Order: sequence, then C-alpha cells, then structure tokens
Amino acid sequence: MDFLADINNAIPEAALAGFGLVGLLLGAIGGDRTAGLIRLLAAVALVAASVLTAYQFQHPGAADGIAAFASATSPDGLYRVTMFTLFAKTVTYALAALALLMSGGFLKTSQMERYEYPLLIVFGSLGAGLMLSANDLMTLYVGIETLSLSSYVLAAFRRDSLKSAEAGLKYFVLGALASGLLLYGSSLIYGFTGGTAYAVIAAAPISVGLTFGLVFVVCGLSFKASAAPFHIWTPDVYEGAPAPVVAFFSTAPKIAAVALLAHVMFVTFGPHEEAWRQIISIISAASMLIGAFGALMQNSIKRILAYSSISNVGFALIGVAAGVGNGAASVLVYMTLYVIATLGMFGGVLALRRGGRAIDNVSDLNGLVKQKPGMALGLLVLIFSVAGIPPAAGFWGKLQVFQAGLQADMTWLVLVGALSSVVSLGYYLRLVWAMFMKPSAGELDKTDISIGIIVLVTSLLMFPILTVTIQMLLETAARASGG
Amino acid sequence: MTFQEIAAIIIVLSPGIAAAIAGLGQRFLGDKGSMAITTVLVVSAAVLAGLLFFGQVFGHHPEGGAHAHTIVLSRWFDVGTFVVDWAIRLDSLSITMLFVVTSVSALVHVYSIGYMADDPHRARFFAYLSLFTFAMLMLVTADNFIQLFFGWEGVGLASYLLIGFWYKKPSANDAAIKAFVVNRVGDFGFALGIMALVYMIQPFAGVDYAAMGIHHFSSVGFDTVFNVIVNNAPVLVGGSGAPVAIQDVAFDFLGIHVWGLEVAGVLLFIGAMGKSAQFFLHTWLPDAMEGPTPVSALIHAATMVTAGVFLVCRCSYIYEHTVVAANMITIIGAVTCFFAATVGLAQNDIKRVVAYSTCSQLGYMFFAAGVGAYEAAMFHLFTHAFFKALLFLSAGSVIHGMHHEQDMRNMGGLRKKMPLTWAMMLIGTLALTGVGIPAVDGLHLGFAGFFSKDAIIESAFASHDAYAPLAFWLSIGAAFLTSFYSWRLMFMTFEGKTRADHHTYDHAHDPPMVMAVPLILLSVGAVLAGLVFYDAMVDHHEAAFWGSAIYNAPDNHVLHERHEVPLWVLLAPAICWISGLIFAVIFYLLAPQIPRKMARNGGPMHSFLSHKWYFDEIYKFVFVKGTALLGDLFWKIGDKKIIDGLGPDGMTGLTKASAGGLSKLHTGYIFHYAFVVLISAVIFVAFVMFGQGR
Amino acid sequence: MAGLELTLGHYLAVSAALFTIGVFGIFVNRKNIIVILMSIELILLSVNINLVAFSVFNGTIMGQVFAMLVLTVAAAEAAVGLAILVVYFRNRGEIAVEDVNVLRG
Repeated sequence: MDFLADINNAIPEAALAGFGLVGLLLGAIGGDRTAGLIRLLAAVALVAASVLTAYQFQHPGAADGIAAFASATSPDGLYRVTMFTLFAKTVTYALAALALLMSGGFLKTSQMERYEYPLLIVFGSLGAGLMLSANDLMTLYVGIETLSLSSYVLAAFRRDSLKSAEAGLKYFVLGALASGLLLYGSSLIYGFTGGTAYAVIAAAPISVGLTFGLVFVVCGLSFKASAAPFHIWTPDVYEGAPAPVVAFFSTAPKIAAVALLAHVMFVTFGPHEEAWRQIISIISAASMLIGAFGALMQNSIKRILAYSSISNVGFALIGVAAGVGNGAASVLVYMTLYVIATLGMFGGVLALRRGGRAIDNVSDLNGLVKQKPGMALGLLVLIFSVAGIPPAAGFWGKLQVFQAGLQADMTWLVLVGALSSVVSLGYYLRLVWAMFMKPSAGELDKTDISIGIIVLVTSLLMFPILTVTIQMLLETAARASGG
Repeated sequence: MTFQEIAAIIIVLSPGIAAAIAGLGQRFLGDKGSMAITTVLVVSAAVLAGLLFFGQVFGHHPEGGAHAHTIVLSRWFDVGTFVVDWAIRLDSLSITMLFVVTSVSALVHVYSIGYMADDPHRARFFAYLSLFTFAMLMLVTADNFIQLFFGWEGVGLASYLLIGFWYKKPSANDAAIKAFVVNRVGDFGFALGIMALVYMIQPFAGVDYAAMGIHHFSSVGFDTVFNVIVNNAPVLVGGSGAPVAIQDVAFDFLGIHVWGLEVAGVLLFIGAMGKSAQFFLHTWLPDAMEGPTPVSALIHAATMVTAGVFLVCRCSYIYEHTVVAANMITIIGAVTCFFAATVGLAQNDIKRVVAYSTCSQLGYMFFAAGVGAYEAAMFHLFTHAFFKALLFLSAGSVIHGMHHEQDMRNMGGLRKKMPLTWAMMLIGTLALTGVGIPAVDGLHLGFAGFFSKDAIIESAFASHDAYAPLAFWLSIGAAFLTSFYSWRLMFMTFEGKTRADHHTYDHAHDPPMVMAVPLILLSVGAVLAGLVFYDAMVDHHEAAFWGSAIYNAPDNHVLHERHEVPLWVLLAPAICWISGLIFAVIFYLLAPQIPRKMARNGGPMHSFLSHKWYFDEIYKFVFVKGTALLGDLFWKIGDKKIIDGLGPDGMTGLTKASAGGLSKLHTGYIFHYAFVVLISAVIFVAFVMFGQGR
Repeated sequence: MAGLELTLGHYLAVSAALFTIGVFGIFVNRKNIIVILMSIELILLSVNINLVAFSVFNGTIMGQVFAMLVLTVAAAEAAVGLAILVVYFRNRGEIAVEDVNVLRG
C-alpha cells in the first residue's frame, strides 16, 4: 500500500485540514489580534487548495479514481477524485477564498473580526471538498456534516444579533433533521445493498428498500442544496445571517452541494436512473417556480437573493434531470456562472453601507447610479447574468441546461424554466429599476476598495471573458462528465 | 471616370451630405450656417445637373443622346438572385429627373431663405429639405427596385417631417399622419409588386441570359427584369417547376388565377397611386398643404408626387406588355384629372386650389402613360414641375405678403400692391391652362403647358387603347375646368375691390429679392420649357433622346399618330381654355354676385364639390371610424377582457397572489418548516412507490 | 415467550418507531428547543440501531464503523447545537419554540 501515492489524491483537503488545525492553534495563542492575519492565511490556503486541485486536473492519470484509504470490505475505497468533482472542487475553493477576502471590511465594521471566522470557512470548504471526493456514504456523511456544522456556527456568528442567532438556530434544527433523513436513507441503502461504497450501491439491483433510502438521500441532499420543497430554511437563514456569511453560503457550498447531488445521482445511483429522474425533475420545477414567485413580494435584498439562488438551483437541476450523458456538463457550467455572478452581487451588497449600517432593502439601492456609477453598472451586468439576459454569460448557462433538458425530452421542464425565467425578471428588473430610475435614497458611505474591485472583476468576468471561454469550459466539463 | 459620372455622383450625394451636416450639426452651425451649407450644396448640384441635362439634350454622343449606363457605388444585398446595388443609373429618364429635382429644389432652398426668415427652426427645415432632395435623387437614379423603394420611403419620410414641420399645429400633425398612412396603403401595393417580380423572375438553368444583355441575374434589377420581359425569356416561377416564358406566367393570387405581369403591374401602380395622389388615394395631398408653402412647391407639386409617374415610365417595359394594368392607369389617371379639376372649382384656400390642380395634372400624366405615350407623360412632368412650382411659390409670396392669409375670399385687388407676384402668377396660369397657338403647320408657339398638355390630349385621341376615348373626353373637360378655376384664382386674388381688412391690405407687399429671383427663374422655365424641349422629348428626336430608357412596343406609334389627328382635336384645348377664361371673367369680374349667391344657397352641386365629392367623409366613416370601431372591439373585449384578463393582468394577479401565498407559507416557525420538509419527503416516497407499483 | 426470535424486521420496526418519534418530536413539540435537540438525538439513535442491525444481519463490519462515525458526529452536533442555543438564549431571554419567529415571510 503506497500511502504517499494514495494521499496524493487528497492533497488539497489534507492541506486545508492541516492549515485549519494550525490556524486554530495560532488563534488560541494569539487571540483576536491575529484575526486579520489568519483571514489572509486562510485565503491563501484556500487558493492553494484550489490550485492544487486544478493541478490534479492537469494530470488526468493521477485523478482517475485511485483507491485511497482502501477499506477491507470495499473494492473502491472511501475516497475518489474524478474530473467532475475536481472541477467543482476547484471552483468551490476559489470562491470560498474570494468570499473570505471580500468579507474583511464588513467584519471590521460589525465587530465580527474574530479568528474563528476564517477557520470556520476553511473547515466548511474542507467539508465541501470531502463530500465531493467521497466514494462511500460514510465519507459523504462526514463531509456533509463538516460543512453543515461549520455553516450552523457561521450563520449564528454575529452573537449580539437576535436575527443571526435565530438564523443559526433554525438552520441547525432543520439541518440536523435533513441530516437525519440522509442518514436514515443511508442506513437503509446499506442494509439493502450490503455496502456503503458507491460501487456496491451502483451494482446492487433495485429494491423497495433501496428506493426508500434513495428518496431519503435525495431529500437530504436537496436540503443542503436548498432545492424546493426543502428550500424552506433558505430565506430566513439568508436574511438573518451576516452578509459575508450569506455570500459564502450562496457560493462555495452551493456549487458543491449541487455538484454533489449531481455526482451522487450520476455515479452512485446512475444505474437506478428511473427511480430518481422524476423526483429530480419535480424538485427542479418546484425550485424554479418557488424561486421565481417567492421573491416577487420581498423587499430584503438578501431574501431576494435567497429566492434567486433557489430558482437557480432549480435550473441547474434541469441538467441533473437530463441524465449524465446530456446534462453533466451543463450543471457545472451553469452553477459556475451562477455562483461567480452571485459572489459579485453580494460583493455589491456588502460594499454598500449607509451611516455605518449595511443596507438590506431594495429601496436602499435607489439612485445608486448617480452616486456610484461603476458599481451600479457592475451590478447591472451581474444581475443580467443571473437573470439570464443575453449577452451576459448567464444566458449561455441557461441555454446549456435548456438544451440538455430538450435532448432528454423533458420539454415540460424547459417550459417551466422559461416561464419562471420570465417571472423572475420581475424582481431582477426591480433591482435595476431601483438603481437606475429611482431618485437617490441618501448619501452612501465610502466603498471598501477591495470589494469594489471584486465586483468589477467578477462583472468583467461575467460579461466578455466568460462568454468567450465558455466553449473551453464546456469541453472540460464534457471530459469531466466522462470520468 | 467621365465628367458625367463624377457629376452624377456629386449631384446625388451632395444633398445627402448637406442634410447630414445641417441636420446633425445645426447646434454648431446655427441657422445661417445650416442654410448656407444646404443651399450652396444643392445649388451646385443643380448647376451640375443642368450641365448634364443640356449635354444630354443637345450634346452629340456617339450613340446619340441615349447613352445610358450605370455607376455602381457598392453592393447592398447579394443573396441568391436577390442582388441589389447602391447605384446611379444614368439615362435620359434619370437625367431629366435629376435636372427637375435639383433645379426646383435649389430654387426652393433659395426661396425658403426669405420665406422662412422668421422661423426659429430654420436649420431643421433646411436639413429636411436637403434630406428630401437626397432621397428623391436616390429614387430616380436607382437601377433596381429596392433602391427605388429606399428612395420611395425616404421621400415619404421627408414629406411626413415637412408637412408636420409646424408640429405645434394639430392640423399639421394630422395632415402629416394622414399623408403617411395613405401613402402606406400605396407602399404596401408597391412592396407586393416587387415581391411578385421576385417570385416570378427566377433564373432557369438552361437559358442563356447573358445573350439577352443580363450580366448578373438579379430578380429586382431593372436590367434583368426589363430584358427578361422584352425577350420573353423563360423563368422559373417560384424557383421550381418547369420554366415558363415570362409573358405567359400565371399564378394564383388571393385565390384568383392571374397573369403574373398584370399583377405586378397593378400592384406597382397602386404604389404609384399613393405617392402621386391618384383617385382613391388622393385625399392626403390637399391636407398636405398644412406644410410650409416652399415644401408644397417642392414636394407636392414638382417632385415627390411625380415619383409615381416616373415609376410608371421607368416600368414602361412592364406596362407595354400588359393590358389590364395599362387600362387601369388610363382610367384612374383620366378620372383623377377630371375629378380634381371639379373639386378645384369650389375651393377657397389658395393653396388647395393649386393642390387640386396638381392632382389633376398628375392625372394627365398617368393616362398619357396608360395610353402608351410615356414620353408625353415625362414631358408634361418636366414642364409641369416649373409652372406648378412657380404657381405654388407665387401663392406663397401672396401668403407671405398677406401675413399668412390663405383664404381667397379675404383677398382681391392685390395686383397694384404686388405687381411682380401678379406677373409671375399670370405666367404660371398661362402655362397651366396651356395658352398657345396650335400648330396647324409649322408655327408652334406657346407656354410650357401648351406643348405638353396638347401632346397628351392628342395622344389620347390617337391611341387605339380601349379606354383612350374616355381619357380624351375627360381631359378635354378637365382642360376647360382648369382654365376656369385658374382664372378664378387669379381674379379672386388680384382683381376687383379688396375684401382684405384694412391693415393687411395696406401692408401687402411684393416679396424680397431672395424670393423674387427663384420666381423669375421658374417663370423663364414656365415660358420656355415647352418650346425648347418639345422637339427632343416628344417630337422628331424623341427616339434618339429617350433611347432605351423608355420602351415602346413595336406596335405602339401613338407619338407619331398624334400628328394625324383632325383639326378640331388640335383646336379643342384652345377652345377650352378660352371658354374657361370667358366664364371666369363673367363670374368673377363682371357678376361676382352669382357665384357668391350659389355658394350661399349651397345647392347640392356646390356642396358636393366643396366637400371634395365627400371623399374625406366616406373614408372617415368607412375606414377611420370603422377601424376605430374594430380596434375598440378588439381593444376593450379582445385585449382588455380576454387577453389581458387571462394574460398579463390575470397572470400578474395570480403571480402576486402566489407570491403572497408563498410568503405566508414562511411563518417563521421551526415546526412548520420541519413539517414541510417531512411531508415533502413522505410525498416523494409515496410518489416513487406508486411509480414502481405501476 | 421463549419462542420469540428476534429478526431484522423487529430491529427495523423499533428503529422506524424511534425515527418517527424523533421526527414528530421536532414538529409537534411547541414548548422547548431542548426537546428538539433530544429528538434529533433520537433520530440519530434510530439510524444507529438500523446500521448495527444491518451490520449483524448482512455480516459486514461497515455498518458498525458507520455507527461509530455517527456517534462522533452526533456528539459534535449536540455541542454545536447547544452553543447556538446559548447564543440565542442570551439574545432572546427564552427558548420557547413558538417564539422563534423573528425571521419570517
């Protein structure tokens, strides 16, 4: 057993875990004075993890499903990297790093500058990476719980705020319930297939117990990805949690969760496609519709973004419902474009403060174009991208999943998608209207430069560069889906 | 490049450049700058066009005056057989039009400097004028139907802008919209006509089109279309099936089996009817007088309204091979010429009288083309441009001198106050009514209208077409009416005791030099244009002059046969104008109480005429009210109730309701949320179990 | 009752009952959040019974390994949950489930 060769596959996660422990030690010794330093180091660690993952990506041979941590009973081991998961992990780590960097100003002004914050994000990302790399239900569970526990704490991170505490509490209770469902499903699957490894499950014949377990697992994973009808926690948690935490929630774990759902469906339950395809398409349709309709009456930007993310997860799930051959690439493309745009939008929300308080109402955006034209334009591009208005990159993402849906003969699902796209324009354009047409709502504070830059960079990325490189992305993802 | 080509390019482009500079840069140039630039560029275009035209008439080209060729500026479309160039086609037809358009336009530009002196938006006005000129030149120099259509729509646009130039006047806006909408009816026909041509004229692989002089097959190019028709070449209708000789093409159109060329001809003529204000589609022209008077002179007398005549003459290749379409032109033209003249009798607005007169004269041109005398139609177009522009501009200077009074009932006795205007108006009237000595042998003297109008009337008599006699008699009647209402205008405006109020009358004056000079130049044209160009355009040298620009079928000798008409036909027009004059003298000089009493009693005849045969009322009732009613029905019941009710309104209502419902679902209670999660899980399990049970 | 032999079915029934009780505990209970934490533990407990029972009846060790992991994670989860509850209590002053609805709509 070549331990070094095996651990090679888990290098990014190992690095993150190692940094997390060292950072904890550093923080415990140095206290909150080291918070800034640890935040910076954490960002570096996440970038390093992203680069390491991307490096594995460059050498497909090394990533071709190696049996690391081989267990006695499982032929395939607990841990496995494929092209698909590598791609998702790269994006996840990179976005976590960006979300972390972005939060600096907010943390300082809100007295949240404590060293646990970056470490929680590191552990959360580690959990996301673990669950994506899982090749066994046990690894999956540990990964999900690592991410979830970090997330619960992050949601409640603003200890002096009732809203934040309540968000954390709700997230915890409901998250634990969902974990319970997932776990119960896992136990049934184990019982009826005789193993916890993906390969064993995939090889097992379909049975009532397996179907039961499958449905429970799908429910639990949908909860993590905040797909309707398991989205119910999302708006409350997004509204209550501090803005940088929401920025993190809606980006790195989001793409990880959706990619995980796709991965589990395609790989673990791949042969049992008939059992889950209908459910996934119902979940997809429900998410798109609820995300589109729910946001119409909202006034809180964070709540609107929560619904937006529900709706967009629904779009990505069209790709999952379309099956591995048609949709795998489109899921990744869609989610990547979406989370990058979302990060930029949250960058904007974080950057805008009035009288020292973070803004959260749509009317706070009124007349933004007059005070910060650059920011308003950047946000405009990002909103267009998320809404899927051409020529912004998000449009191409939507096109991909719609095409996948049509290839799989799921015309009704695509029609629902088109309908909810139109409906969701209602609130996207409301944001634009507020920024460009309404009279100003009063003087805004000076913008944190780094956030402005991130807004601009992501908006630039969204618009011309990504539309050009989308083909490349597609090819990569297509290869990834093969692995 | 020869001088001719360079000159043509400059002529066509310089008004466009002038319009662009003056229109876009009026802020920097100011009023004076814009006026100077547009006027200078258009005048220089006119000078060049004059050189070209006189060269064409009197020059001695190796191939005679008919030397025709095309300058291709650039390729516009190249899709299969749909090949369209931006081009300048130079032949006698387009050179004549170039001269008419640029010279009248230049004079109108100059005249407007004086006429619009007090207007705050002069720069915009001049930009529009130049834009119009440019579009008109694109129209006349087109070598294909698409560029022609471009110019066609361009002049329509410019006309709309100029009629509604005083956009604060509601009546001007209404008139502009009316002109635009009525023209749209015609343009629809025109566009369909072009489509019919494209549909029919598709090449068949086995035919040597090059031998017919077609070098690059284009379904909308004049060369291709005309050569195919003349050679009766086989074409592939609709691009498939067996080839059919073009003159035998027949297909189903609106459920009727029709001859292809006839359909194309009729449809193209409907376009011409709209633009040239022919019967049924004439209603916009009198209302268009709401625009400034120079606009009326340029657009609604000399140039744009003659575009229809130009189109028909340009398409002589088509109409020489059709019967129905040509007869339709004859009938519509003859009816228009008579109808408009009757309406002219009862109008009191000085400009409206001239406008109906224009309408009537356009009718002359059309039936001339309809009976095969395209040359006579073009000749009348040419002379008419001068004397009608002169009449309009004289009317303009009357209006100018009378502080924008247009009602002739409030004029009279102005001869002493404005002698120059009177003289100009007199020349115009003499030219319009066709005063001259009919040539029995050799001696042939008269004003411009005399030559061209008599040529048309004689052609109508000489033609063998079925409806030519109708055209002849109607035109004789119209000639009498024309004389009557023209002299009525003269007498009511200039003679007798004034009916104007004291103040206005005392301040009435002749126009300033800048307005007088264009009048004088036009009057020269009105006097001499007939005499000088008669020979080249309709007499001995016409074949050499027009060359291939106008096509006459081998059996069409109408221009020669018109010399052999009986003496009474030659004398008839002269009798007409003399009797018209006598009646006018009786009614408006010797016994002015008679017409006044007639107007007051308001007999049916008078109200019929003064209401312009009730056309506006009928159209308003049938089309405007009918459309409004239909629209109302669709709007209130179809759209508001059904489409909006089920669609946007119902949808937004539903959307809002469901959004509110979703919002209510989020009670904030953990146990509710947990319940939603669990019940969903249960439903999914049930769903899958049920699905497997199946 | 010597004739009663314990089969897999019995274990699964107990586990399902526990799971159901845990689930109902979450959304029927309106009083105390601590009860919710207990319910969550109950759910995890039912899963563990499942896993161990399957492990024994399938003859594989994986189920028991999984159960160990679940126990560990459950401990961490309880710790985190209680910590959040403490934070919430400090802000709100009580922990009645019916009062946790500042965030809604």
